[in-house]
Amino acid sequence: MLMTGEQYIESLRKLKTRVYMFGEKVENWVDHPIIRPSINSVAMTYELAHDPQYEDLMTAKSNLTGEKVNRFSHLHQSTEDLVKKVKMQRLLGQKTGSCFQRCVGMDAFNAVYSTTYDIDKKYGTDYHKRFVDYLKYVQEEDLTVDGAMTDPKGDRSKAPSAQEDKDLYLHVVEKREDGIVVRGAKAHQTGSINSHEHLIMPTIALREEDKAYAVSFAVPSDAEGLFMIYGRQSCDTRKLEEGADIDLGNKKFGGQEALVVFDDVFVPNERVFMCEEYDFAGVLVERFAGYHRQSYGGCKVGVGDVLIGAAALAADYNGVNKASHIKDKLIEMTHLNETLYCCGIACSSEGYPTEAGNYQIDMLLANVCKQNVTRFPYEIVRLAEDIAGGLMVTMPSEQDFRSDLKVGKNGETIGEICNKYLVGSPAATTEERMRVLRLIENLALGTAAVGYRTESMHGAGSPQAQRIMIARQGNIEAKKELAKVIAGIKKN
Amino acid sequence: MKIITERFDLKLKCGVRFCGGCNPRYDRGRALEKIKDYFKDRIEFSYAKEDVDYDILLVIGGCTNNCASFSQFNSKLGSIKMWSEDHIDKVIEELEGILLKSN
Ligand SMILES: Cc1cc2nc3c(=O)[nH]c(=O)nc-3n(C[C@H](O)[C@H](O)[C@H](O)COP(=O)(O)OP(=O)(O)OC[C@H]3O[C@@H](n4cnc5c(N)ncnc54)[C@H](O)[C@@H]3O)c2cc1C
Ligand code: SF4
Repeated sequence: MLMTGEQYIESLRKLKTRVYMFGEKVENWVDHPIIRPSINSVAMTYELAHDPQYEDLMTAKSNLTGEKVNRFSHLHQSTEDLVKKVKMQRLLGQKTGSCFQRCVGMDAFNAVYSTTYDIDKKYGTDYHKRFVDYLKYVQEEDLTVDGAMTDPKGDRSKAPSAQEDKDLYLHVVEKREDGIVVRGAKAHQTGSINSHEHLIMPTIALREEDKAYAVSFAVPSDAEGLFMIYGRQSCDTRKLEEGADIDLGNKKFGGQEALVVFDDVFVPNERVFMCEEYDFAGVLVERFAGYHRQSYGGCKVGVGDVLIGAAALAADYNGVNKASHIKDKLIEMTHLNETLYCCGIACSSEGYPTEAGNYQIDMLLANVCKQNVTRFPYEIVRLAEDIAGGLMVTMPSEQDFRSDLKVGKNGETIGEICNKYLVGSPAATTEERMRVLRLIENLALGTAAVGYRTESMHGAGSPQAQRIMIARQGNIEAKKELAKVIAGIKKN
Repeated sequence: MKIITERFDLKLKCGVRFCGGCNPRYDRGRALEKIKDYFKDRIEFSYAKEDVDYDILLVIGGCTNNCASFSQFNSKLGSIKMWSEDHIDKVIEELEGILLKSN
């Protein structure tokens, strides 16, 4: 069953997920003005699946059930599927101008699917079958699942078991006949509150002494002992202002991150997909990170499309659209954005089948993709700010524009003064100019900057993590051989 | 009543499949509307479904890649593909040709 956006929102109301924000419990989090835009973003992943103009990207035929499923719960069956995943993410970035959150789950499904297959092959366990049963349930119910990898990590120089507080990495505290009990937390969790389920993975490669940390499992978001503390975003409380619209930049959509706490949560055996097989923790991390580094070659590009469009509108509204340096800056932004897309498409096209049968991206190219993502959105934002002008950060509030308080010598209101002095070219009204500048502000340093900037830096791993992978996959030795042949060096 | 049914049966059935629209270079929906407007009730256009038999498929891509999947649909006369606004006339011509042959 493919849910509609509305059905998805209603399905969240049935969950008893425990959410805290500003030091208090949020009872009706579905309608909370700070949270709701992020729910609307996820809802778009459902809504577009019903639109014939987007269905080809948004849906796929499940290899597990033969049924049509949302691509966000699909196991990639070909390089074409990998390419379509990236295209779908670009599309959703364009439609929401923000992080739509459902990708982490999709990336986790594909990584856990192939890794459980490999674990079973080595240890004769039955994790893969358990996971397949779980994924069938997810596909049939069309659920959103948080792919949760990142532990809080405490002192970064120490291994999990060497931390003073053992809970700084999520771990197994009890093994029972019917399941396990886990304790710890996952930080920065994208869309966690908006997810029906959580799929947990370890955060780093592990050694034997850390085997209690080698754990992968799934639990409903309202499992006993599980709760979330909402991550605040820059300018978030603007959403609490009465009648807020223009000042939000993007009124309808947004992203979401939270600290997800596992306060001794019981996980039944059928939902455990790794337990102490520490030698597979690194494999799982690498595969998930690989898929997620591919993902950014789609989602960030779609958001980039919105930002480039906004910058071009700002140029029109400021009356500078014909200036050659402005045109050139828009070309540069497009060039950078499409370069990211090239990386997303390239690592997908060069994908290959895993032993389990689903497709994995090309690791080198996916890491190159993400490495570029840690840089280009910053440059695109810099150019957008250049084009927009300073007003994007000095503009009075929308209340001022609406104010009829008389302040001028001839009885002009605050609104009239704002409109008089902040007008741009005849191409737009002052309000339209405000709207587009606020959208740029939102993406450059407001709530959406979380997804477009800092997540581009750290999400799916900080830049150094990609450089390690690039070093490993770069094949410098073969390149030396090439150079030797051309240069006529005979020495081995 | 019978006459209406027979006329209905004669109508060419065209299944429409859009690409997923990640970065279309033109308005694909409007292009379809133009084609539909041209044929009025001579061709029955509907979004392609797997369990339906069509006379012809119209595959509307947003760019030259035209990556829409369509092999899962049944069509007697194959498919017509377009990926640019400039293709509207060509599509109309091809569909006219098919109508001519089937009459
Ligand atoms: C907006 C956002 C959304 C996210 N969404 C998700 C999500 O949905 N699911 C998920 O699992 N994760 C998510 N992440 C987490 C992301 O994967 C991490 O932020 C990333 O792995 C970096 O970890 P960190 O933030 O703890 O930074 P740190 O690990 O503290 O890194 C900070 C700096 O220290 C360096 N460093 C860290 N450890 C070492 C070391 N041992 N030796 C040398 N240098 C070191 C890093 O290279 C970096 O330069 C998200 C992050 C962000 C910002
Ligand atoms: S950051 Fe991008 S890939 Fe990750 S969940 Fe958000 S939209 Fe998806």
